[in-house]
Amino acid sequence: MTTSTVGPAEPGPPAGAAPEADTGPGVDAGQDAADAGQDAADAGQDAADAGRTVAQRRANAAAQARRAVVRVGAGGQRLRVLLVEDDPGDAFLVGELLDEVDAPVTLRIAATMAEALAGLDDVDCVLLDLGLPDANGLDGLRRLLRDGTGVAVCVLTGLADEHLGVAAVAEGAQDYLVKGRVDGVLLSRAIRYAVERRRADENALRLRESELRQAESRRLERGLLPQPLMEPGVVVLETFYRPGRQRALLGGDFYDAVQTGPGRLSLLVGDVCGHGVEEAALGVALRVAWRALTLAGVPDDDLLPALERVLMAERRSEEVFATVATVDVDVAASEASVRICGHPPPLIISGDRVHPVAGRPAMMLGVFPGGTGEPNRVPLPPDWAVLVYTDGLIDGRVGDGRLGVGGLRELVAEHRRTGAPLAELPDWLIARAEERNGDPLADDVAMLLLTGDQATS
Amino acid sequence: MELSLSTRTVAGHKVLEVGGEIDVYTAPQLREHLIALVEGGDRQVVVDLGRVEFLDSTGLGVLVGALKRLRGVDGELSLVCAQERLLKIFRITGLDRVFTLYGTVEAATAGGEGASGAPAATAG
Repeated sequence: MTTSTVGPAEPGPPAGAAPEADTGPGVDAGQDAADAGQDAADAGQDAADAGRTVAQRRANAAAQARRAVVRVGAGGQRLRVLLVEDDPGDAFLVGELLDEVDAPVTLRIAATMAEALAGLDDVDCVLLDLGLPDANGLDGLRRLLRDGTGVAVCVLTGLADEHLGVAAVAEGAQDYLVKGRVDGVLLSRAIRYAVERRRADENALRLRESELRQAESRRLERGLLPQPLMEPGVVVLETFYRPGRQRALLGGDFYDAVQTGPGRLSLLVGDVCGHGVEEAALGVALRVAWRALTLAGVPDDDLLPALERVLMAERRSEEVFATVATVDVDVAASEASVRICGHPPPLIISGDRVHPVAGRPAMMLGVFPGGTGEPNRVPLPPDWAVLVYTDGLIDGRVGDGRLGVGGLRELVAEHRRTGAPLAELPDWLIARAEERNGDPLADDVAMLLLTGDQATS
Repeated sequence: MELSLSTRTVAGHKVLEVGGEIDVYTAPQLREHLIALVEGGDRQVVVDLGRVEFLDSTGLGVLVGALKRLRGVDGELSLVCAQERLLKIFRITGLDRVFTLYGTVEAATAGGEGASGAPAATAG
């Protein structure tokens, strides 16, 4: 067995044999561990045959090798390898080496870089000769790394240009092998490790992307869920937001509350259909537009049509819609003016009596514009409270069905009968909805609870 | 939960039978399927929601999108839906005014506009 050159040690599974080398008897130690790997991979031979090592090290090496075997086993499929090699003799040799050890590899050969680049689909690993007719030196590698997204690359160099192998790894290849100093076991293992390394790199990249996405989600969340513009006084507003189970998938739920005069308040809750950064950003735009229109004193009847125009101008596709509910409260007149566009109805709470705002809702915004309808004027009882929410709250499972508006209404009534403070209602509702759902709720939930001064206890 | 989609032709209508849950995760599949039907030249499309267990706002968005796409090419999208809990969703969102809702596939594919089974979604 010839000793081979393996690329620079890297952290992770590919370097599994390295600790053995550090403590072993000179240069042979790494080879011992490699042999152990081979033996276990050959499944059946005793790893102890790996040779001149103390029992403990043997056991370690065997355990590592077993892990490697399990990993390959778990991966299941044969690795698809594309050898890019213009020398038929060398190409034949590579095939022979792999056959010799019955490597779990399906080999395909391309004689030129052009041919290789045209056939990168369904390839797990490319074995790349650095001396091709149409791509010399590292040029071919660069083209491969640019075009072959996700494919692992293991470079083949000659004895005289081993330095190119090192440079190749620095440029992004997973490993390099020196021709003529490779046997079947090593080649098979190098391929496997190259693929594993590439996957590990991709996972790390995905993790970073997900972290960035979450940071972006948090920024958008702040835009969707603002500080209410209210003076402390005759009413109390509780705001509540709970992201869905898929944390990275930000929903388009938004809310806002603006005081428009003494004892006059406007509430907004809405949901942009769909999930994702685009939808969330549109939710922010709609909320800010609503706030601006409200602060500017745009007549009530014109406000939602204007908001719908904003939606239609800002949305990226014609399939993006939004549901909204607005509640304008006039405390002195004990009246709420409710508008609903495709949104679940707000609940009016008085004691343990709970009523969804009745009436036929208008269509959600952005479907067929111009139909935002008439407001529903609701008299407020002396101890009134109003709960507005998004559909994430009522979409939770209950047995075979979903909670629904009816189920929510019962839950709120149940909470009021306990005599607990109203301020605790949103948290309590979520806890109960999740208990029935048997799991955290899948979708985002936003809630606003506005309480008149006689209902705060 | 998986989404199941299967198409058949009934009386000149393409009937897409949907089963499972139409939510944020599965809605893209439904969208692609509907777009493929329209691009494949189908104009009278019936979506059978009979075996749908859940429909959220993303799913509604997809259905509305398909409706608009079809109307844009002089086609029509009808829905088959007899389950009260789904009908409730259409009422809440106001979309019962936009879609023609039928109680059965037979009603949806019988004749053209305003077939007899239309008022499956009576307000309640």
